[in-house]
Amino acid sequence: MDFHAPTAAVAPASDRGAARTERDLRLDFFRGLSLFFIFIDHVPGNVLAYATFHTWAFSDAAEVFIFISGFTTALVYGRSLVQNGALLATAQIYHRVWQLYVAHVFLFVIFVAEVSYSVLVVHNPMYIEEMRVAHFLETPHLAVIRALLLAFQPAFLDILPLYIVLLAAFPLALLGFKIHRLLPFGVSALLYGVTLWRGWTPHTYPAGAPWYFNPLAWQFLFVIGATAGFARVSGIWPFPAGQWFRILAMVIAGFCALISINWTIHWLYDPFPPLLAKELWTHTLDKTDLAPLRLIDFLAIATTTVIFIKPDNRFLRTAWARPLVVCGQHSLYVFCLGIVLAVLGHFVLDQFYDGLPMQAAVNVAGFGAMVGLAYLLEWYKIASRDARGPRVTTTPSE
Amino acid sequence: MMRPLAVLVVVAVVASPLAVPAHAQDAVGRCAVPPDLIAAGPGLPGVAKRFQDHQPLIIVAIGGASTAGVAAGSPAKAYPQRLQQALERRHPDVPITVINKATPRQTARDMVGRFAADVLAAKPNLVIWETGTVDAVRAVDVQDFAGALEDGIAALRAGGAAVMLVDMQYNPSLASVIDFGRYLDALHRTADLDDVYLFHRYDIMRYWSDNGRFELVDVPRGKQAVLAGEIYRCLGETMADAIDRAAR
Repeated sequence: MDFHAPTAAVAPASDRGAARTERDLRLDFFRGLSLFFIFIDHVPGNVLAYATFHTWAFSDAAEVFIFISGFTTALVYGRSLVQNGALLATAQIYHRVWQLYVAHVFLFVIFVAEVSYSVLVVHNPMYIEEMRVAHFLETPHLAVIRALLLAFQPAFLDILPLYIVLLAAFPLALLGFKIHRLLPFGVSALLYGVTLWRGWTPHTYPAGAPWYFNPLAWQFLFVIGATAGFARVSGIWPFPAGQWFRILAMVIAGFCALISINWTIHWLYDPFPPLLAKELWTHTLDKTDLAPLRLIDFLAIATTTVIFIKPDNRFLRTAWARPLVVCGQHSLYVFCLGIVLAVLGHFVLDQFYDGLPMQAAVNVAGFGAMVGLAYLLEWYKIASRDARGPRVTTTPSE
Repeated sequence: MMRPLAVLVVVAVVASPLAVPAHAQDAVGRCAVPPDLIAAGPGLPGVAKRFQDHQPLIIVAIGGASTAGVAAGSPAKAYPQRLQQALERRHPDVPITVINKATPRQTARDMVGRFAADVLAAKPNLVIWETGTVDAVRAVDVQDFAGALEDGIAALRAGGAAVMLVDMQYNPSLASVIDFGRYLDALHRTADLDDVYLFHRYDIMRYWSDNGRFELVDVPRGKQAVLAGEIYRCLGETMADAIDRAAR
């Protein structure tokens, strides 16, 4: 996922006008859409989850996020690399890493509060196995250190650590782009292949639990996005773009959509026969290691999307698309709020009532809060920029 | 949500043609659940044949802490033992043995490793496999979890046993800190694809909790064991309903 900012914010003042005009609203729109989908998918039992990405694809919102993240990271810092040099670009990247890290620690604190509360309330030996989720509370000194080292990843706190690691390693990719625009792609593909082949995975606490998103596998999608994004800087498109490639992408995306929709109907209505489920279903499950089926389907969908939705698409400039675009432009804060809101929504649905009216209320409240925060941040950004008097320092990317 | 009285009527109506009228009473009262929470299939023809031929029926239950039943204070109050009592009452002419092989804190993969020695050695006609909690708590890779389920189902079937999968316990408080959704989905879908009978413990307990039959959280210390025993008894009764319905 991407928390990167509008190109204009990083580019030097002289370049601002140019950067603004060529801004690709598709990146903001789909990033915003994924934020909504991640919120929806994190509220358990949410009927709206049937309307999200994974209903008609093997992949889900996480893939969209990582890809766009890689794309805009290369766009923003690739430009900075060209204009300001490697040192400043790296410093800017690490400034962003720091922000993500602080956000991760913030979410961790909320998680600890939630677990402590839940476990103290439960009071029931029937749940002795479930209570082990709180065993880290018996050694809080170790748990805190592990959380600070990104080695403790309880449920719902798994995405930020991946981004922090990917971004922290990104200066290496930037150096690679300077040598050859496909060098990072090649190295990354090799690492992905070996990771799948050898089953490499970094370990976390509790011992033996793998990272939910294995960074050694997911870096490949990030670098694919970055290679495409860097093409905006270098002006040379490095991947195939011929007619055959577009047709192949559409055929793959269409085929996977057909199978996925078929499965979704089957899970809802058992007598409906699932096509190829015995053969394919388990191969789409491995989100941790970014299963090849998920990756191929996502790339096909991305290619198909770009064929049909051009940068000058008029819908992206309408009032309907605006809330998603603004959310996409302030993705770090909106993402964190979305996770907190999903946990709250979970709590409300479980404790009180989980019928459709309540689900609708939770969804509407969640969307409203996310869009509200995004508009507030947008207003603050513009108002600070236009304000007279002491200059308000803004971060390089937000 | 249905009113309790309506539920009683529905359960009575649905359960009455099942067999002997006396059976219908067992699932009524505090334990009653709407009929759509107890699947009718896939069937258990092997078990049905045992009932028809009045042949001895051997069931092995394997699972974690909730199958071991420690929380109720005595293994005799665990749901497998309650299931045996309920089945014996319903089928007085069939010798029924339920063997409890639960061991706390094991993942699905750990349990599969015990199948040959602990489960198949008893030559069961039916294996009740309760799993998923430890996998969800430890955040085991979902694909590995689904793979372990498939391997386990294949091993049990190769050993000549029918399989009934049992999903996780419902807990209104911990559900928001443990990511059960993905593991429930994986378990339900594996059961579906492999044609395995699934006992919907999560939904059943959730129904009891939502309808105020049992308070699952904030239980005073003195009442915990009694409550656990009562829930396990209801699970045993409901599971007997499920077996009767699938073994027709």
